[in-house]
Amino acid sequence: MPRFNIHHITRYTYEGPVRDSANQIVLFPIKDAFQDVEKQVLSISGDPSVDVYKDYYGNEIGAFTHAESHSSLVIDSRIEVVTKQRPPLVDDIPAAQQWDYLLQLRGQVPYIDFLLQEKFASLAEVLEDTHRQEMLTLTPLQAAQSLKTYVYDHFKYIKGVTSVETTLDEVWKLRAGVCQDFAHFLLVLLRQINIPARYVSGYICPNKSGMRGEGATHAWIEAFIPGNGWVGFDPTNNCVADDLHVRLAVGRNFSDCSPVKGTYKGAAGQTLEVGVSVSYESGRTTDDIATVLTPQPAARNGNNSAEQNSYRRYMEMQQQQQQQ
Amino acid sequence: MLSRVADSLYWMSRYMERADGILRMLKINYASSQDDIQEFSWMPVLRIFTYMDEEGAVRISHNTRAVLQYMVTDRENSNSVLNIITRARENARSVQDHITKELWQCLNDFYHIVRDEKLDRELHKEDPVTILDVLIKQGMLYYGTLDVTMARGEGFAFLNIGKYLERGVQSADILDVKFSDVNYDFRRTDTIYWKYLLLSISGYELYLKTYRSGFDARNVVEQIVLNDEFPRSILYSVDRVHRYFERLRSERNKEAFQKIDFMIGRILSKVRYSTVESIMAQGLHAYLNGIKEDLYEVGNALNQNYFAYT
Amino acid sequence: MQTSELLNSYSVDPATWDEMYTDPERTGGSSSVERTLDLVRGQYRPVVDFMQQMSIEELNKKEELAKRLFMSQGITFTVYSSGEGIEKIFPFDIIPRIITATEWKYIEDGIKQRLKALNLFLKDVYNNQFILKDGIVPVEMVYSCPHYLREMHGFHVPHDLYVHIAGIDLIRDHDGTFYILEDNLRTPSGVSYMLENREITKRIFPDLLPSNNVRSVTDYPNILHRNLVSLSPRQTSNPTVVVLTPGIYNSAYFEHTTLARLMGVELVEGRDLVVDNHRVFMKTTAGLQQVDVIYRRVDDEFLDPLVFNPDSMLGVAGIMSAYRKGNVAIVNAIGNGVADDKAIYTYVPAMIRYYLNEEPILKNVPTYQLGHPDEREHVFANMQKMVIKRTNESGGYGMLMGHSASDEEISKYKMEILKDPRQFIAQPIISLSSAPCYMNGKLKPRRVDLRPYALCGPEGIQIVPGGLTRVALREGSLVVNSSQGGGSKDTWVLAG
Repeated sequence: MPRFNIHHITRYTYEGPVRDSANQIVLFPIKDAFQDVEKQVLSISGDPSVDVYKDYYGNEIGAFTHAESHSSLVIDSRIEVVTKQRPPLVDDIPAAQQWDYLLQLRGQVPYIDFLLQEKFASLAEVLEDTHRQEMLTLTPLQAAQSLKTYVYDHFKYIKGVTSVETTLDEVWKLRAGVCQDFAHFLLVLLRQINIPARYVSGYICPNKSGMRGEGATHAWIEAFIPGNGWVGFDPTNNCVADDLHVRLAVGRNFSDCSPVKGTYKGAAGQTLEVGVSVSYESGRTTDDIATVLTPQPAARNGNNSAEQNSYRRYMEMQQQQQQQ
Repeated sequence: MLSRVADSLYWMSRYMERADGILRMLKINYASSQDDIQEFSWMPVLRIFTYMDEEGAVRISHNTRAVLQYMVTDRENSNSVLNIITRARENARSVQDHITKELWQCLNDFYHIVRDEKLDRELHKEDPVTILDVLIKQGMLYYGTLDVTMARGEGFAFLNIGKYLERGVQSADILDVKFSDVNYDFRRTDTIYWKYLLLSISGYELYLKTYRSGFDARNVVEQIVLNDEFPRSILYSVDRVHRYFERLRSERNKEAFQKIDFMIGRILSKVRYSTVESIMAQGLHAYLNGIKEDLYEVGNALNQNYFAYT
Repeated sequence: MQTSELLNSYSVDPATWDEMYTDPERTGGSSSVERTLDLVRGQYRPVVDFMQQMSIEELNKKEELAKRLFMSQGITFTVYSSGEGIEKIFPFDIIPRIITATEWKYIEDGIKQRLKALNLFLKDVYNNQFILKDGIVPVEMVYSCPHYLREMHGFHVPHDLYVHIAGIDLIRDHDGTFYILEDNLRTPSGVSYMLENREITKRIFPDLLPSNNVRSVTDYPNILHRNLVSLSPRQTSNPTVVVLTPGIYNSAYFEHTTLARLMGVELVEGRDLVVDNHRVFMKTTAGLQQVDVIYRRVDDEFLDPLVFNPDSMLGVAGIMSAYRKGNVAIVNAIGNGVADDKAIYTYVPAMIRYYLNEEPILKNVPTYQLGHPDEREHVFANMQKMVIKRTNESGGYGMLMGHSASDEEISKYKMEILKDPRQFIAQPIISLSSAPCYMNGKLKPRRVDLRPYALCGPEGIQIVPGGLTRVALREGSLVVNSSQGGGSKDTWVLAG
């Protein structure tokens, strides 16, 4: 039963004073049979009251505002988590029977949400490239493993070439990205062969260094495999996610699980830095690790998009509002 | 009251005052242009009320119809009466539930009249005074409707602050440009020049009653800056701004109130305790400029403390 | 004016129900048929009488007066083309549309029943989902609807009321049967026209309203205000109620100001509001003031940039958290779009049976789901007889009328449908009833629909006796939307 101390810092620095900031955080680890949260200390600059509630997918979501003028926002989360190894995967039911079973889940809640896939232009090309028909001759578990490896083999792990706004078509053209892009692609491939698949955000806590996804939040997916339930697959590291992956949230895609997001009013520019450090029970002192912050491509602040004529955009939005 | 609403009322009022000022200026200057063709130029008017570059202004400064068209119905001129009324109406539209239906309808009618293509055509061939009079009357209807129907609350105070702030700035502008036109030459005594200046701000009759000794540039300055019975004087305007601002005194927003109250009070004292001699000692241009800047500062302070919502 | 002059060009399509004439067989087509008052339905006689006593000049003058009143009051909507806004008045026809007490009773009962079921559906679909588990409404139908908001799941709304304000569109088939065409449960508009049209009628037809026993509509804003106040989460005698508008460039802006003014509440834009500590405040000249109830005319997607569309400049970031905490009431509830989706519409009669154990009073127009292959095939084979609509659009946008579309338009539209069939439905073209309109000194039949407005409060559902009658002013047209050349009429409901 590994025990991790995770320190996750998010820091926004604004070019000038901003106000009326509203934020949403998804930083509360899932609590279930395989994961236990022993302690969580959350501190946020300005000390706002955080309203925590459960969303549709069962994740804990925190919401807070900061109306006063401020020039930075720091969200500091320290957690102590214990994870449990999962039982070995089973795959002894005949393939055809398993696919049939999955077919029955199609129109059912909650699976339906994890089977609906947005269409994109290159979809047909993607499916051809991944030999969809052959997949159906394997068992769902084998197919999932194989597609996970496909993504690992065919996509290059390069930071900074994509952002949260990069489309699936763009990622496909690049054949490169980070864990979030890898996860989104594997979701497409699994949903296409009717395996319910959901996005997972969390932390990776490797016992050796060099794993991808360290120092920041990580992302992978879970597929619903008959006989096993939800099984985690990490296409970025080409492995099954087990007790070294700490889960924060699940959803249809990144935007259901986005760890930190917010809006504000004021000066246009912001920089975002994120750092995650993990230490082990068996490691050195747990409190003293230096969490290194690295700059991130900051998400656009809705009210301060600089590229276009925002007056026009504002007018157009007013006109668009449907009055039935 | 919503900050945005206060802001819109204030600006609606400033625009209406500006439109009124422009229309009166145009009417009197038109008359003047018919009086002495050789000397008359629209240059000062274009300088006060438009952002036209010097070259463009010189080009049309002797073409009365072109100036009227540019000042009244031109869509490209952001300070044409048409565009000013459009902006006043946009502001009114966004606060329709805070002005009376009568006032809204009055402004809305004004808007439709000034946008009517007929007006543009008539401005080219008919008697301009008739057309300007139609528009001026529509403005009077606005003032009257406002006075008769609007509740005397916070909104009324913001309307009046906007109106008199605009008027104060305008009077300072008119005086300054007219004097700069004659190089601040206080010895200039040609009757027609001062007569039309006074007429354009409806101060001619009062002048005749106050000063029996003919035209003197000093007296003109005295009336336009310091006469507290003249409703377009700077003193009168600042005094009204002060009075209406006083009505906003309340327990909430106390700090901002005191700050701005002090600013306005200082301007008021400055004007009240000026004399023509002290103004001339300082230089008329510098004096008027100072007043204008002070008034703009009040505008900025209102913006920060009462209208901040974006 | 003689009856014959007024009526002699009134030729009713024999396959159409006419609101004024009783017997289309005898009034249709040929001009040799004598048009007498006998054939005019009782409810229309006093109006026809009244008009006979006037000259064409007088009537034209009244029409002119109506136009002028609309323009000068700024009762306009703005059409944007090439960057410049052109203000138009929503054309108004001076002849009222008249509904008898019996007809109204039927409509009223039908709408109340329908809204009760729709409200229960919303509560169910966002909570226990019984109706999905029992297979009455297919799960796919709900989950593929873009307006089904997961964020609303398990959410408690005050008094379990989701629909506070509804506009239900009704049409009449050739035999006079009323059909429900559309439920509008998000931001139904047009109620200001109901109120203004009545004011205009008072001016142009003095005394005609009381002498005809026409029921009053003026109570609408008071009922609405009372309902809004009753939703206040704060127990205060004078809660702050606001109307949230997208802004002056919205086509329905006039309506937003009218409602705010008639209720005596503040009209706000998103930028006037701020959320702090899970409470909503408005920015006033004297600092922040807490807001209790928001009647919003901004779409769900734009309401909270933090949760929904992050680019929205019209909403209030964090408002969902205030809503979730119960610190502010939002009207209509968020997520109602799943119930007025045009594909879900098909299941409303089933909902009525399921939740209320009653037979639906008002009928649905038969509707084909294009997401369903068999139905799609049937529709594709009969495109000329169909009207095809997008499930999420309203206002007559994105619609194809099969009988008047070219082959090219039809094949293009089919391609569109095949891209995402779920987003389309088809209905057989229903002819719509006709009602008399005043056109250059004569009465002419034009097609109409009817939108009554229902207000649902903790004490039940109230439908103001009246509504908006929209009319297709072009001869032969079946499209009544203002964006497509439609106009409106004052709608009279007669007391029994």
